Amino acid sequence: MSLLSIEEIIKEYDGIRALDRVSLKVEKGSIKGLIGPNGAGKSTLFHLISGVEKPDSGKIYLKGREISSLEPHERSSLGIGRTFQTIQVWGNMTVVENIMAGMNRRLKGGLLSCGLWLPWIRRSEKEALREAKEILDSLGLLGKWESIASQLPYGKQKLLELGRALAMKPELLLLDEPASGLTLAEIEQLSQHISQVRQEEVTVFIVEHHMGMVMEIADEIAVLHNGELIAEGTPEAVRKNPRVVEAYLIRRSRNETGGSSS
Amino acid sequence: MVEKKETQFRKRDLFYLVPLWFISLIAPDPYLYHKKGFKKKDIFYLAAICLAPLIWSDSHFHHVMVLAGIYAILALGLSLFMGYAGQISLGHAAFFGIGAYTTAILTTRYAVPTLLAFWASALSAALIAHLIGRPILKLKGYFLALATLGFGEIFLVIVRESAPLTGGVIGIFGIPWFSAMGFSFDTYLRQYYLAWGVVTGLFIFSKNLVRSKVGRALLAVATSQDAASSVGINVSKTKLEIFVLGAAFAGWAGSLFACIMSTASPEAFSLGFTILVVMMVILGGMGNLYGPIAGAILLTWLMDFLGKYQEYSLPIYSVILILLLIFFPDGIGTRLNVRIIYLIGYWAKKRKRDKGKL
Repeated sequence: MSLLSIEEIIKEYDGIRALDRVSLKVEKGSIKGLIGPNGAGKSTLFHLISGVEKPDSGKIYLKGREISSLEPHERSSLGIGRTFQTIQVWGNMTVVENIMAGMNRRLKGGLLSCGLWLPWIRRSEKEALREAKEILDSLGLLGKWESIASQLPYGKQKLLELGRALAMKPELLLLDEPASGLTLAEIEQLSQHISQVRQEEVTVFIVEHHMGMVMEIADEIAVLHNGELIAEGTPEAVRKNPRVVEAYLIRRSRNETGGSSS
Repeated sequence: MVEKKETQFRKRDLFYLVPLWFISLIAPDPYLYHKKGFKKKDIFYLAAICLAPLIWSDSHFHHVMVLAGIYAILALGLSLFMGYAGQISLGHAAFFGIGAYTTAILTTRYAVPTLLAFWASALSAALIAHLIGRPILKLKGYFLALATLGFGEIFLVIVRESAPLTGGVIGIFGIPWFSAMGFSFDTYLRQYYLAWGVVTGLFIFSKNLVRSKVGRALLAVATSQDAASSVGINVSKTKLEIFVLGAAFAGWAGSLFACIMSTASPEAFSLGFTILVVMMVILGGMGNLYGPIAGAILLTWLMDFLGKYQEYSLPIYSVILILLLIFFPDGIGTRLNVRIIYLIGYWAKKRKRDKGKL
């Protein structure tokens, strides 16, 4: 059984069909890429999976359980972590607190027990701090653990967002254009981290414009064009698929002379 | 020439530096994780609070500080809701009023012991907050402000109109002193320790709250609700919980207020009072638990001081508030620290430059 399966999703905005009967499956433990030109409906699909928006028709299953009607926080409690296209770190907290806030659903304690600082709260806080530092260490952010998150440079904030999503120990990690706005060196670093994530048995579903990166790390790629799924398969197969070449690669290389697409 | 003027270290900077350095020892900085725990500074504060009424042992000081303590409780609860969760409430005085009236009615009509009424007040305020919070907290920004404002006004109207229960415009008189286990808080000094004891307890509670997962959830909700729900934080539940807690704080404050003033009348819970409490939170500095207490003390003394100039008090009060907001927009504590850091940096650089020249 696949971890995430999307069946016949339709989403319309003011009569314009953003997604037209899209069906997708993400297998457990894999890295799946989702590509497509601007306006193809990639972000919409992500919003539907994370629950920010609801589909007009169609169903979404996580581990065989239907989640189409759940609220975003319920879905993340079931194990869907995500990062955002525009950075959404919590600028009013320190770096380490951002990570610890990401662990929120795993920490015990309610209003009363936290306010009274009961022994098990103290222990779990200590444990959370240690674990948060480990995550920061693996991302190379440990040196900045006490600085305010909004003061980090852009690339580091992206990494922090990834760390926050990892802190909740997701089963499925949705990455919404993680490489946008990053330098080549930073993208390289990010790909390494994503490949590392997979070894911890986290399934990754990634929307990306940066073709080189997706082709390199993804096991399987799906291509959206004008709200329709036009191709699905291994990177090689997708690259050779004539419909993809027509819809995406040619247009892209025409638009960006000498573009970075591989 | 111009450059020379800039690099010149004036001796009088030292005069700023010394008191500012001293203030930096006491002034808390709110953000850093490792500073969210309890520090030596806190013992200093506690000692100051315990010793202050013994050093200034006139009853006027005691009375004003009792009021300041009660407002501090109120401001503390509101600061959790405004400063941490980033929401706005202009109806907080209503919960204060609910607390005061609950105590007043229970003690005068049903002869309930004050200690019991004290808890009942918090409970009733929290209950009503839970009821109205559910629909109201879906709103954001201005709309939330207006809705809570409306709630405050509705509460006032209900209190004024239901005369048989609340005594109408006149209010309820003759509420007994606060007493617990046979000990009556009948002097201003005892009331001082009562009020500030409650402040201390609730402060410790709030401080524990903000350094735990609840505090992080609050800060997360304040900045980005999308990101908060993406890690499994239930945004509406978090907001509701803290709203209810703030209301319970206000209920306790109201109960103490009723016992100490021995009256409960609708004027005490008007819109002006709400604005005052909001000012305490803003002046002291948002997102910081020391701020609302400092703000409460400052504004209570300001009101007391301006009480001598009755006719002019309102304009003077407004001018002072405007000036404070212009020069300390992030609250007094926050701004002071920034200035200290700037000055120390300036001083250090100056020293370095001088050495380089020599």
